[in-house]
Amino acid sequence: MAAVEAAYKEQAALLGRHSLVGIVTRPAPAQHKDEPAIVILNTGIVHRVGHHRMYVSLSRELAKTGRTVVRFDFAGIGDSKPRSDSTSPLMASLSDIREVLDTLEKTHGMKKFILVGLCSGADHAVLYAHTDARVVGLVLMDPTLPPTLRYYLHYVMQRLKNIRNWISVATGRSGLMRLLSTHVLSSVRSKPQIEGLSLQNLRFSSYLPQCYRGAAERGVRMLAVFTSVSVRHTYKQQMTDAFPEASAGGKLRLEFFPESDHLFSGEKVRSRLGAVICDWLDSR
Amino acid sequence: MNPLFIGTAERRLFGLYEPAASARGKPRAAVLCYPWGIEYTYAHRSMRQLASRLSAAGFHTLRFDYFGTGDSSGEMDQASLVGSSSDVEAAIEALKDIAGTARVVLIGLRVGANIAVDVATRHKSEVEALVLWDPIISGAKYAETLQEDSDVSDDVLREIRAIDLTASLNGIPERSMILVTERSSSHAQLGVPVEFVSAACPWVEAITMSGALPVPAMQRIEEWLR
Repeated sequence: MAAVEAAYKEQAALLGRHSLVGIVTRPAPAQHKDEPAIVILNTGIVHRVGHHRMYVSLSRELAKTGRTVVRFDFAGIGDSKPRSDSTSPLMASLSDIREVLDTLEKTHGMKKFILVGLCSGADHAVLYAHTDARVVGLVLMDPTLPPTLRYYLHYVMQRLKNIRNWISVATGRSGLMRLLSTHVLSSVRSKPQIEGLSLQNLRFSSYLPQCYRGAAERGVRMLAVFTSVSVRHTYKQQMTDAFPEASAGGKLRLEFFPESDHLFSGEKVRSRLGAVICDWLDSR
Repeated sequence: MNPLFIGTAERRLFGLYEPAASARGKPRAAVLCYPWGIEYTYAHRSMRQLASRLSAAGFHTLRFDYFGTGDSSGEMDQASLVGSSSDVEAAIEALKDIAGTARVVLIGLRVGANIAVDVATRHKSEVEALVLWDPIISGAKYAETLQEDSDVSDDVLREIRAIDLTASLNGIPERSMILVTERSSSHAQLGVPVEFVSAACPWVEAITMSGALPVPAMQRIEEWLR
């Protein structure tokens, strides 16, 4: 055990102006400063340890391969104090990411970063990446995907199998109609800007494709990992259909974990996830 | 909020110390004992709130992750009930040292309550009061739920199955409270008063993710400790 633990060092830290609570896991010997540091973002309101302790295991695994990893809590989540200002939750989280990167650059000399997130964490990573040239990579687990034409076809085919859905259509209570009307209205109303945006309305926002495009144009590498097919993600190529610019030029790698639930429950899937991320990091 | 590592080089434990907000009267201190597994994940927010409330009420508080859990060193398959008890002992020593108190209050949630019982019965002189919040009554039943949600070793499952709260209550400090947020027929078998508080279950996913906090339970703990 002592030999394993000697492969990395963990340090508690208070990061940024808002003293966000985090853990810095450093390899021993120390990583070269030009190598990007990995920064792991919260999943929803679960603190930085993650479900099934997945971010602790991932941090240590990556540190053993020579990388510095930082996991921290956004303000108001986990151990970090809530903000006292009136900044919206989304803008506050994006501002927290910047504060953390600034602190890591100032105090640890880190200049490049790879953001890692699951679900809302993935969305925060994408929304932030195109605004900061220091972000050179993204690991996105089950990020928000907008519905595509093929998604709607899948949706309709699935729904048609159930007689109750026919009744819903006949009585005007169809989920598809609601989805389509939300999509159309949001597309008409939505402006490609962050003002007024929240993670709840991100799916139909025209700002999201712009973020992917912006990141891809800057040369940000992306690894997108999808777990079992969900209501919002019905086929493998939905991401490349939704964000064609992100997948151009070989910058995007897609990985699928059909055997896994959304929270990567089970040691085997988490172990495979770690291996996939390490392989992607090595493949530059 | 002060994040820190306590314990030994072989058993580094991540903790968060919150100093007492007011220095009125004699300083008092409280060690919070988390649940395990997925219950730990969901209960974390409530335990943090409880620590902040107690800090505001004049308690120096320390909550920490057992070895092999949370941000502490060790892997999940190295966590054990016996080891967690020794971690609580280390946390008591650390908090007494930081806060300058001779005794602490122990507050445990779910299996953290059972761990707190074990420590309190062996260290009566150091534990001024004990709060058991929704403790595990039957280890056998709990082992089934833990097995579903967490990666636990067979050795740990054996330890968990052997939990018998009724038998372990004999040596607890005089000033002890059992607080439950779920009524159960098994509470009557404990042979000691059990206080029911209508509040959210902080370790349950659906309730936690809805943003609900067990405020009445936290208020009751704070009030009882005054």
